Parts: sequence; structure tokens; C-alpha cells
Amino acid sequence: MGKSAELLPGTLDLLILKAVSLRPLHGYGVLQRIQQISGDALEIPQGSLYPALYRLEHQQLIAAEWGVSDNNRRAKYYKLSAAGRRRLREETAGWNRLASAMAAALNTTPEEV
Amino acid sequence: MLRRLRSLFRVLTSRRDFEEGMSGELRFHIDQLTEDLARSGVPRQEAARRARMEFGSLNAVAEECREARGLNPFDELIRQLRHAARWLRKTPGFTATALMTLAVCLGANITIFAVVDSILLRPLPFPEASRLVTVFNTYPKAGVDRDGSSIANYYERRGRIPAFAAVAMYSYGTAVVGEAGSIEREEITRVSPDFFSTLGTGPAMGRSFTDEETSDQTDKIVILTDAYWREHFNADPQVIGKQLRMDGTWNTVAGVLPPGFRFLSSAARLYAPLPSRPEDRSSRQRHSGGNTRQMIARLNPGATLAQAQAQIDAQNATLEADDPQAKMMADAGFRSVVASLHADHVRSIRPVVLWMQAGAMVLLLIGGVNLTNLLLIRASSRLKEVAVRQALGASRRRIISEAIVETTLLTLVGGLLGLVAGAGGIRLLSVLGADRLPLGSDIAFDARLACIAVLGAIAMGLALAAPVAWFSLRGHMTVAIQSETRGGTPSRAAQNLRHGFTVAQIALAMILLTSAGLLGLSLERAMAVSPGFRPDHVLTAQIAVPWNRYPNWPARLAFNERLLNGMARQPGVSAAGVVNNVPFSGNSGKSAATVEGHPRLPGESPRGHYSYGVDGDYFAAMGFSLLEGRFLTADDSRRSARFCVVDEDFARYYWPHGSALGQRLFVGSEAATGAQSFTVVGVVSAAKQAGLTDQTAQGAVYYPYALRTDDKLFLVVRTSIQPESLGLALQKTVRQIDPELPVTDIRSMDTRIADSLVAQRSPALVASVFSLIALLLIAVGVYGVLSYAVAQRRREIGVRMALGARPDQIRSQFLWRAIRLLAAGEMLGLTGAWLTGRAMRTLLFQVPPLHAATFTAAAGVIGVVSVAACLLPAHRAARVSPMEALADQ
Repeated sequence: MGKSAELLPGTLDLLILKAVSLRPLHGYGVLQRIQQISGDALEIPQGSLYPALYRLEHQQLIAAEWGVSDNNRRAKYYKLSAAGRRRLREETAGWNRLASAMAAALNTTPEEV
Repeated sequence: MLRRLRSLFRVLTSRRDFEEGMSGELRFHIDQLTEDLARSGVPRQEAARRARMEFGSLNAVAEECREARGLNPFDELIRQLRHAARWLRKTPGFTATALMTLAVCLGANITIFAVVDSILLRPLPFPEASRLVTVFNTYPKAGVDRDGSSIANYYERRGRIPAFAAVAMYSYGTAVVGEAGSIEREEITRVSPDFFSTLGTGPAMGRSFTDEETSDQTDKIVILTDAYWREHFNADPQVIGKQLRMDGTWNTVAGVLPPGFRFLSSAARLYAPLPSRPEDRSSRQRHSGGNTRQMIARLNPGATLAQAQAQIDAQNATLEADDPQAKMMADAGFRSVVASLHADHVRSIRPVVLWMQAGAMVLLLIGGVNLTNLLLIRASSRLKEVAVRQALGASRRRIISEAIVETTLLTLVGGLLGLVAGAGGIRLLSVLGADRLPLGSDIAFDARLACIAVLGAIAMGLALAAPVAWFSLRGHMTVAIQSETRGGTPSRAAQNLRHGFTVAQIALAMILLTSAGLLGLSLERAMAVSPGFRPDHVLTAQIAVPWNRYPNWPARLAFNERLLNGMARQPGVSAAGVVNNVPFSGNSGKSAATVEGHPRLPGESPRGHYSYGVDGDYFAAMGFSLLEGRFLTADDSRRSARFCVVDEDFARYYWPHGSALGQRLFVGSEAATGAQSFTVVGVVSAAKQAGLTDQTAQGAVYYPYALRTDDKLFLVVRTSIQPESLGLALQKTVRQIDPELPVTDIRSMDTRIADSLVAQRSPALVASVFSLIALLLIAVGVYGVLSYAVAQRRREIGVRMALGARPDQIRSQFLWRAIRLLAAGEMLGLTGAWLTGRAMRTLLFQVPPLHAATFTAAAGVIGVVSVAACLLPAHRAARVSPMEALADQ
């Protein structure tokens, strides 16, 4: 496991949306997927995932459905709703704008001012 | 927002599923984590422990999830509701008292509000009903306040008053409907062609009347109400064009009105054209409204009553310019008044209804004060608990919301009980005759009323929570904790508040009781008024004698003769007579008479008098006393001599110093030739026509029946037996003479008089019921407050007793305290009662608003009840055992 970064506030929701946008996942799967796609760089406290999932479900950005897991147990699967997809697109764009702006700002050399 | 509410609603409706799903999901996560850890080589038990550790507190996560789902406020509410319910169950005595108080007070308000709502608040059932007005002629100086409108008025105003979009006439009446031999009598309203278009609600099927259908020959058509159509035509869709026999002639059905059509309080199920002759429409007949024909109009959008009134006044002035009668009408104070149709229809009942609502509100206030006191007592017993909880971090918001949940739960349950009580009250009202009030038959218990009642209960809950919350949070936690632990004397502020409420309660009860007393006294005084004849043992009935069956005088007189002879043969009958309009018939139309040798002085208005046509032994049957001369007899109607009898009031007005006998008078407002005069042959006692509380000495003239008649008559029979028992014999007698004549309105004279007092009786009755409840409430209130004071000071009393105080000293100390409160409350109440009495003067009859005996009696009754209520607690105080009281804490 490499060095893990603290999660910025508000980014967990975006990460969850991204994770379930690839394919429907149960809660544990969401956690694993985020760790996988972030290259294990992001550490998410186990317990904090569920309130976020419930909040997103309440906002109807994701939809839940009961299904059967790989090891044949009943599990709740989350998938992205249309509103969620829209939100993901907007937030991703916003995030990228912010990231490039930050990068540009931080890379500024004295000569460029 | 809406989406979230929907999602919340889904979760709330399947709350159990939500909880199960959530715990299943969280368990699944921990199991998966355990398995992954185990697979990576951690021993199974260690893996399970580590998974639980990493996950954190299950409860905390679950709580956060619930919050994320927006469930927290609801959980909190449910917790508080449970708590409040447990609290109410734990103190059944308090809960029962509070619920009974609420049920009675809210029930009374719901009942009366149902009346206010249906009579005053709900608009008439027509589109834009606020634009509907009525126009009537008034001649106040002649003693004629309302004279309807004339056909001439209608034709003069139609299309000529810019403020009116439409003008129409109507006239109530009855008709015998059905095949020959039928005596089924239907109420029928005769209307001008534009009646339905003025109301804005026309026939649902068929057509309305036309302008051509307004003469005696062309008016043989009829419009049915939905109810009549269903009942008598089996809801036949082909009914248009069918024939209906009315008063012996065939009428063509032109239309059917929509379901629920109802004009004001009329029970008419048939509508026919209002016919008139060309001479009725001429300007000479302008003042012949006679209060049987009424005008309605619809204001143009944007037009006001004042504009319409100004335009009517202007038109009247123009028309009167070339009217020979103008001078006399002006002397009579003639005016045409424009008034809102709804307001005008309910004007007589409006103050009564509003006063009853005010009484109910006072009752609610007394009950509310009672509850507040009881709740404050409870709150002070929990003051310590609240202070400790606040010290432990309970927020003020939480304390307030708890108070609100508790009181609102109480008032909601009380409100539901009140709805039951109100439904009962509404039924009781209809037994008392409320459906005879204008628009009274619409009084009903419906969803609208229930909603308003529930909202009212919630509002009351919030109102009750305010003092409780204020009291609980009144700072000084440490003081509360300390004072209560020491079991010392109660805080001054709380005690003052409770005492203030008790004083207010007694004052309000005082107002209710005196009002009830004043109204009851008015009723008693009204009932004591002599009607001017002897109403006992008199049976009266109305018989319609249509002109087309009895077209001339000999035929009509012959019918009377057979009728009177038939009745005279019945057992116990001592006298029988016929009159065109019996006193207390509900019709008090007046007409003019002119006395020979009494020219109207300048400025003196022509006078309207009651005028009657009598046959048979009418005066003897009614029990009039003869003051001078002789009665009219049956012979007078059958001779060419023109005699009349006048009453005391009439004689006193025209011949204050001499005898009325031998004087001559004329029918109408102008003296005619000598041959048309009537010679006065007798003076009788003055009878009340409109009601016992009728104060004006209107004067009356009794003419021989042949010269003064309508198409219906009243039969009056004096009997030595119970008058009602003669009813069947009366109907049989009429049937033997003519089976087609309907007999209606069979009532004893006593019943007529009693029925006429409904406007006095119902407020008096309602006020008495309210007063009784108020007395009960103050008894409960005083008892509660004093009991609490005794319980709270047990310790102090114990100490004093131990130091040698005598029990009767303790007892009188508490009694004196109660009496001081009582005196303050009664003083305050006296002032309020005096103001109330003055304000409701219109409802009083021969009773001054400041009636010493009533006030004293009310003060006495309240005094006795309150002192009785504090005897038990005072006695209990005197029996406190010093040992027990000191050992208590």
C-alpha cells in the first residue's frame, strides 16, 4: 500500500458516483473499486461510506436494488441514475477545471509574473 | 425538493423494510471485510475483530444513515410522541379532566361554528355569488319596513340601471300538483324569465322561461328541480314537453335544474313563470310590492352596492317627478334599498349566531385557562427534571418542542373527541329547529368543518405550549433545583400567574352567566306578553281554496259556511271562524286604510295596518275581548252593508278622544266615494301579528270576509278538549266538503306562539348550556389550583401545625385565599358583563343590560360553586398530619 492521501471534503460523493458509473456495485464493492481506481492512493474510512451512499440515494443520484453477490448472498447494489450521470459529468468538469487552475497556479515561476 | 420529499415518504411508509435493509447491508459489509482479511492470512477471529474495529460503531453509522435519509426529525418526533403518550397515561386523572374540557369546549365551538359557517360564511351556491343583490321598497314612516318590489319596478329597472348586469323577480307560493283528486301540495317559486340567468345557474336540461311566457295565458310551463324530476318522473331523459297538472291546469315541462339547485332557504321543487297583466306593469302599480314579490339583481363586474344604490335613487327621483302618489310616498319615507342578497337573507339571525359563537369562544377561553393552569401545575412539578436535563445539555429547542408535542397531542385527542361532541351538537341543533333558520338546512358536519376543527385543535396546542415552555425555561436553573429540593414555598411568579388565570376564568364565567340570565329573562318576559287574545285551546289550520275551483263570492262563502257548520258539529267545539291571515302565521304584510274626516296632516305619513277578512265566529274562536260595539258575524259577510271592526291601537290613533263606533274608513291610501266606505261597528283588543316582541302599535282593521280575501284561508276553532286532538276531524271535515283541498300547517295557537319565539329561545338555551359547562369548568379550575397549593405547602403546613397552628386556622387561610380570588374575578366579570349586556341589547326584550337581580344571582351562583370547589382542598389542608408531612421528603 503506497502513501494514502486525506480525502478532500465533498470528493467522496464524486468518487462514489464515478465508481458506480462503471457498473452496479454493492457498498463493499464501491469501497474496493475506489481504492482500485485511485491506485490505493485514497483511504476511505469503512463506516463513512454508508451515510454518503444513503445521502446520494436520498438525492436520487443513485438508485439501489437488491441483488445477489458473487458469494451468493443478498446484497444491495447501487447504480447511477440519469440525474447522477449528469451530476458526475458536471462535477468532473468542475473538478478538472479546478485541478488545472490549481496546477497552473502552483507551477508559476517568478519570471512568469 | 419534491423528489426528496417523495423519497422520504417512501422510506417512512416502509420504515421496517428500511431498517432491516440497512442492518443487512451493514452486516454484509463487515462479513465481506472479515472474509477478505481472513483470505489474506489473518486468523478468522482476529479478522472479525479487526473488521468491526475498522468499520466503527454500527449504531453511529446507522444513525448517520438515517440522518442522511432525512429521518431524524421524524424519529425524534415519534420518540417525543411516545414519551408524551406515556406521560398522559401515567396521570389518568389529569388526562381525563383535560380531554373532557377540550371535548366540551371544542365541541361547543364546532357546533356553533357549523352554524356560522353555513349561514354567514359560505357563499350562496351560485357563480360569483357576492355580486348578487336584492332590492326592496321601504316605507319606514308608515311602519312598513319591507314591501318587496313591484312588477312595475321590475320593468322600469330592467336594462336601465347601469350597475346591474341583470334584474329578476321571484315570488314564493304553493300549488296543488297532480291528477284530479290529488291534494299533494308543492312549494313553487314563480320567477321572471331572467331569474336563472341572474343567478348564473340555469336548467341542466331543457330551457329557461322566455319573455313571452309572462302572462296569465302563456305561463303554463314549469321547470323542475333535479329532486322532483327524479322522484316524480323517474329521472326520465325525455321529460321535456311532458305535462304536469298544477292547480287544475296542465303545464308543459320546459327544463330540469341541475342537482343541488336551491334558492336561498326555499324548499320549492317547481319553478313557474311569474305572470303579470299589463296594468301590473304600469307606473300606477309601482308601490304594490306587498312583500310577496321580491327583486334580485346581479351587479356588473366592478360595480359596487353604493353605485347601484345611487343609480336606483336617481331613477326613483326621476320616476316620482310625474307620479301623483309621489308626495304621499315621500311622506312615508319611501326608498328602494339595494342590499347584498346573502347578507339580507340572514340579517335577522346574524347577531344571534355571532353572539352564540362569542359565547362558545368564551367557553373555550375558560377551558383553555383551566388547561393552562393544570399544565403549569404539572410543569412546576417537573421544573427540577427540566433544570437537570438542561444542565446535562438538553437544548432549549428540545424543551420547547417537547412542550409543544405534549400539549398538541392532548389537544388533538381532545379535538377528535370534540368532533364527536360537535357532531352530536349539530344533531341537537336540528332537533331544536335550527333547520328553520335562514340557510339553516345547510348546517351539516362535513370534511371542511373537520379540517377547521383539527387545525383549531393544533393551534390551541401551540397556544397552550407557550406558557408551559416559558415557565419551564424561565432561567435560574440553580434556583429551581435548589428551591424544589428544599421543598419550600412555590415561586411567586408561578403562583401569581395561576391566580391571575383563575381570576380571569371567574370573570369570563360571570359574563357567560349574566348573558344567559339576561337572555332567559328576555324569553320569560316575551312569553309573558299577552298576544291580545286567548291562545289556549285554539286549533288553527291553513286551507288553500283556489280561485279556479271557487271562482266567485257565493261559492267561496258557501264553502266557508259548510266548513264552519261541519266544525261546529265536532265534539267540544265552542266556536269556529275563518280569517285570511291568522296571527303568528309568519306573514305580517300590512296595507293602507284611510279614515274619513282624518286628512293626513302635512308630513304625516300614511300608515300601514294589518287588515283581515273574517267569517263565522272568528273573534269568539280566537278569544278576543270586545271593548266597544259588537263583533262582526257571519251575517256581515252575506249582507250588502259594509261594516268593519277595528282594534284598540287603531281606534286610539285615529279617535284618541271619542268613540270609534259609527266612524267610516276606506280600503287603500285614498278616500273614495261614500258607497265604498266601511262603518266601524266594534272595537276589539289589539292582537300581536308578527310576534310577541313586536312593539309597534300598528293597528288592525277586520273586514267581512267577502271583501278582503286571499286564495287561502285559516280555519280557527276553539274547543274544550286538547286542540291537537281535533286535527284529524278537521281534515276529515274538509275532505268531505272537497277532497281536492289541501290542509296544511295544522297547529294549536299556543304552538304557533312558542314557535315564533325560536329567535329568543335558542340563544337563551345555548347560553344556559354554556353557562352550566362554564360553572363545571371553574369548579374544576378552582379545585385544581387550590389542591395543588395545598399539596405544595404540605411541608409548611406540617411545620406550622407542629408549632401549634389550629386546623381551622389553616382551613380558613386557604378559604380566604380562594374568596379573594373569587371577589377579584367577580368584580372584573361584572364590568365585562355590563359591557356585554350593552353590546347585545338587540337580543334583549324588556330587560335592561344592567339588571341587578341577574348580576347578583350570577355572582351568587359562581360564588357558591367556587367555594364548594375549594372546601375539599381546604379541608385536606386542615387534616395534614405534621408527622407525615415532615417525614415526606
